[in-house]
Amino acid sequence: MTDQDNPRAEMHRLDPRLLEILVCPLTKGRLEYNRETQELVSSSARLAYPIRDGIPIMLPEEARRLD
Amino acid sequence: MTDALDKTALEAAYARWAPIYDYTFDAVMAPGRRAAVAAAEHCGPRILDVGAGTGLEFPLFAPSSNVTAVDLSEIMLRRARDRVLQKQLRAINGVLVMDALRLAFADGTFDATLAPYVITVVPDPEATLDEMWRVTRPGGELVLVNHIGAEAGLLASFERWLARHAPNLGWRPDFPWARIGGWIERKPGARLLERRALQPLGLFSLVRIGKGEA
Repeated sequence: MTDQDNPRAEMHRLDPRLLEILVCPLTKGRLEYNRETQELVSSSARLAYPIRDGIPIMLPEEARRLD
Repeated sequence: MTDALDKTALEAAYARWAPIYDYTFDAVMAPGRRAAVAAAEHCGPRILDVGAGTGLEFPLFAPSSNVTAVDLSEIMLRRARDRVLQKQLRAINGVLVMDALRLAFADGTFDATLAPYVITVVPDPEATLDEMWRVTRPGGELVLVNHIGAEAGLLASFERWLARHAPNLGWRPDFPWARIGGWIERKPGARLLERRALQPLGLFSLVRIGKGEA
């Protein structure tokens, strides 16, 4: 989906200044931003943190476990 | 000491308060927010705002600041996010749900960590201070705004009475200064830079804690 398709995309785009400093709350390892799934993926913790309406939910208990 | 406020009670209290929070608390708390934002910006542009809630202090930040805002309440943060979008507040680089005991930042990320009206409501104030300290750079500051309980007299009795109702209120009115003071004394490199009562009423104080160079 491109930004033209989604008028709310502006709200869903994370600020590069934020991505620069954000790490996994468990491992403090780096995060990968997946714009398609709206998730922040911590490969070191094997967890994907959801981003709901532009708000990253950085709680391990709310994260999706990666297999 | 047992904590009257647990996480669930806090979230429930904030869910109940969210719609009217801005109107009820803003008037008495606004001077504290202004003082806290000024103190934080004095340290540099990289600022962490802990317990940002609905983002009442967001418009107070200079557009050149680079502020990350976190809170445990997603309901509050939705209002904070709307505020950022509607007012196009360039200073705010994001609003995120986070546990103040497990912040998603590396050590020394921020010039200043700001916690307006937070320390007296969290279940573990000392551990929260530790975690905010970790993400603050050496030479930076922790900036707190708090209601610190009166030590004696009529106000103290009133506050003890209020404390019994803390779970409904969402804050702990009899929070003693000794808990913050004791933490500073035990923390290597921590120095109390300022403790100043704020108007109106002197109900709230601004507390600045300096982090010594490593």
